[in-house]
Amino acid sequence: MSMTILLASIAVSVAGGILAFLLGKSAGAAKVVACLFGMVSALLAAYAGVGGVFGAETAFAVATPFAFADFTLLLNPIAGLLLVIINVLAFAAFLYGLSYFDEYRENGLGAMGLFMNLFVASMNVLVVADNAFWFLVFFELMSLTSYFLVVIEQKEQSIKGGFMYLVMAHVGFLMIMISYFIMSSQTGSFEFATYRVHDFGPIFGSLVFVLAFFGFGCKAGMVPFHSWLPQAHPAAPSNVSALMSGGMIKIGVFGIIKVGFDLLSGTECMLWWGLLVLVIGALSSVLGVVYALGEHDIKKLLAYHSVENIGIILLGVGLAFIGVSMNQPALAGLALLAGVYHMLNHAMFKGLLFLGAGSVLYSTGTRNMEKMGGLVHVMPVTAMCFLIGSLAISAIPPLNGFVSEWFTYQAMFSAALMGDVMIKAFAAFAAVALAITGALAVTCFVKAYGVTFLGAGRSEEATQAKEVPVSMRASMIIIAAICVFLGLGAPLCAPALEGVAASVLGGSSLAVTSGTAVVNGVTEGAISTPLVAILLIAAVIVAVGIRSVFSSGGSSVRRDPWACGYKAEGEMPVIATTFASEVKWVMGPLYAVRDALVGTSPSFGRAFTSLVNGARVAETVGDKRIVDPVASFVDWIAKLSQRIEAGDSRLYIIYIVVALVALLAATVVLMGGAA
Amino acid sequence: MEIVVAILQALLLMLLAPLTSGIGRWLRAKIHTRKGPSIFQDYYDIIKLFKRDDVRTESSTFISRGMPVLYVGVCFVLAMGMPMATRACPIPVLGDIILIIYLLALPRFFFGLAGVDRSGNYASIGGIRELIVGILVEPSMMLALFAAAMVLGTTNVGAMGGIVGSMQLASPVGVLVAGAAFAIACYIELGKLPYDVAEAEQELQEGPLSEYSGPSLGMIKVAMTMKQILVVSWFVAIFLPFGSAVEMTVPAMALGLVAYLVKMAVLFLVILVIENLVARVRFKLMGKQTWAVVGIAVLAFVFCALGI
Repeated sequence: MSMTILLASIAVSVAGGILAFLLGKSAGAAKVVACLFGMVSALLAAYAGVGGVFGAETAFAVATPFAFADFTLLLNPIAGLLLVIINVLAFAAFLYGLSYFDEYRENGLGAMGLFMNLFVASMNVLVVADNAFWFLVFFELMSLTSYFLVVIEQKEQSIKGGFMYLVMAHVGFLMIMISYFIMSSQTGSFEFATYRVHDFGPIFGSLVFVLAFFGFGCKAGMVPFHSWLPQAHPAAPSNVSALMSGGMIKIGVFGIIKVGFDLLSGTECMLWWGLLVLVIGALSSVLGVVYALGEHDIKKLLAYHSVENIGIILLGVGLAFIGVSMNQPALAGLALLAGVYHMLNHAMFKGLLFLGAGSVLYSTGTRNMEKMGGLVHVMPVTAMCFLIGSLAISAIPPLNGFVSEWFTYQAMFSAALMGDVMIKAFAAFAAVALAITGALAVTCFVKAYGVTFLGAGRSEEATQAKEVPVSMRASMIIIAAICVFLGLGAPLCAPALEGVAASVLGGSSLAVTSGTAVVNGVTEGAISTPLVAILLIAAVIVAVGIRSVFSSGGSSVRRDPWACGYKAEGEMPVIATTFASEVKWVMGPLYAVRDALVGTSPSFGRAFTSLVNGARVAETVGDKRIVDPVASFVDWIAKLSQRIEAGDSRLYIIYIVVALVALLAATVVLMGGAA
Repeated sequence: MEIVVAILQALLLMLLAPLTSGIGRWLRAKIHTRKGPSIFQDYYDIIKLFKRDDVRTESSTFISRGMPVLYVGVCFVLAMGMPMATRACPIPVLGDIILIIYLLALPRFFFGLAGVDRSGNYASIGGIRELIVGILVEPSMMLALFAAAMVLGTTNVGAMGGIVGSMQLASPVGVLVAGAAFAIACYIELGKLPYDVAEAEQELQEGPLSEYSGPSLGMIKVAMTMKQILVVSWFVAIFLPFGSAVEMTVPAMALGLVAYLVKMAVLFLVILVIENLVARVRFKLMGKQTWAVVGIAVLAFVFCALGI
């Protein structure tokens, strides 16, 4: 049943996309058709996803003339969860687009509707694909359609970001493809079902895992493959950014989970896989938030926070690998629950924040926070939704970001209790990284929210901004409500997500709730977000009552703040760079600020500096070693190919498809030779 | 019974917070060989503030208006879960160490925002510095507690105190060093000299509060003292639980209350002496000095991991 609904939703997406493309000349009609079809399709697919999370596994298979390319789909709980994440965001993005796309009338709304619908549809097929060939085809389709959405504005910045994205997507694609081809050459099949029961042994198993981890890591935007993310995501229209940062990069994490736990379930899991994922996760989370603090472009800031949150998700996933390799199903289940919970949470609050940033952009026409300020007075709904998103991403209790980070901490703590000294050290390292990340995220969102929405307006655009149209407001309110529900309703959500984690690990489920509390079954640690919320609301109401009953003075308004006896001026209050410069005093090395703070410090300082220098080298290694050579190689090929044809991009796409088919054919021939 | 204890101790904390800060002021005057104010001076101050106008700047919003009540509210909720006279948490689901660390970030978030909201430049700089103190302290606090919790096998404050109180520790030295690291981290969190960086310039006197007045200022003053008492109680509950009531009976709790008051009096005296002996640290040096806390916390972790 769920599978049929999913197929219907994909049909609706494709139909909507094509219809919008045909209506391209009348921009208004194309926009309405694309958004309405997209919303219907998203609702259907989200319904199918809920069925996948709670129902039994359903399969679907169509034989094709090619033996390697049977069209096999499998809807299991983890695929269902991804469907829910992608399609809730897609629904919000299309609803938002009903008004927001008016900004893009000159950019061809028909093509935009086509690409956006195909983008969502390709992600939907991708997560249920159960055959390596079709998985790769739809992975490529997802990258290409989102590339066209990134470059839709045709400005220099977006084309540059788009090119970087295209290169990194294909570097990742190549690694994933090699990983799948190793598996198919070992088993002689392209069906995922055969990989699950095959033992690849430690060498091939590790090779497959590492290739898949880095390949999907490119898509997820983890350090050191993150540099494309802050270039590409902000360049796209904001609701597409929400869909990319909230939904698409989760496909990367989904791929890591799928290959590591599902496809390699017949192969023994190694401890160092988990440690690798954990360390990369810790680096991603700290560096992501540190670089976010230095940004004053609101969408770039949010994109860097995606790097941070991917890191937090990877902390949970890495601990789950450690749990499996240690044969501790309770630890693995708890850690993977933390990972998938944060995956869902990040999708929601990051989607919300990108929509909020889009509303600000829509009203003020700028992404530079220095030119905003005081927007809370003119855009109250946007401001409220952005505040909820900021609190959630800063992991402030009782909202959803806190719940999943609590589970992550509890998984680290359980790993430290169960493991030997080395695992204890890695767990403590990860806990410290997460604590630094949490404190920096609070600072960063005080900056993002404070500088954008509070204080006095710092430009004409900011003071004359207006609240956004109703469809954009509705879309933000829906996602904000989901964020609140995922936090306060943690005792309801945690068991469902635990079911997803248990189905991936193939183990029995463990208790994660007791009454209104969520618990760590290993140590009996417990928290209750509904109770915190109720007590907090009650205490605040009592405090408000005390203040108004006992105060006998009035309230009066003074025009200007106190400025030490001088006349207060508009230039005086803090702006985005004030935050960054204050934080640079303490996090100086991470920004390569060479001043007294670093230069004279003793051995601690030196050790820290060398660590940071290493991290800084590692930060650009992705660019220097991978992007640059690949880019120059592509450049060289392009120069060669100029002799063949005149630069029609459709021909390039055909070349890619031909190359893919040729590689597949070569593998089939090789396998035939082996058999 | 537990609910009654929880509400009672939270109410007492709120009502007695000005007395604590009043005694502090009186003692400081004695150290300075001044006559000093009455120990009830802070009550008089707050009553006076409640009679004054609540002055706000033109651009301010619900953020700065709501921050004082939210601050008091968070302290109230934390007080309901913190073991004081008892050894276990009155409401156990509020006593998780990670929840406490992150709940403390809630008022900090709005504290920082309120500075920006009132658009006073001095207030906002103070607010940012308050946030930076959080960045510097939170990691070592987390590491020290992580090390201790690893030995004690639980992340619940009451349960951790219960095991420390039983003196049956797998690695006593590790827990001791973790306690030392946590104590220093807590001290910095209190915002006392030499680390009151939020008001570290002449112009920043009272730092982030410079734009507050009237009843709101009075509430923040109460809330800040409540938070200081809570942070010290947090340390006491985990690392110095001796004397607190293991059973929930009235005589045991009366004894526990006396023990709690004695411990708190001694600790606040120590804090007061330190505060009056040192000069304020330069803001730029603070980031360096906190590395020492990180070092002690790492040492505690190594001891705990090796079981020493």
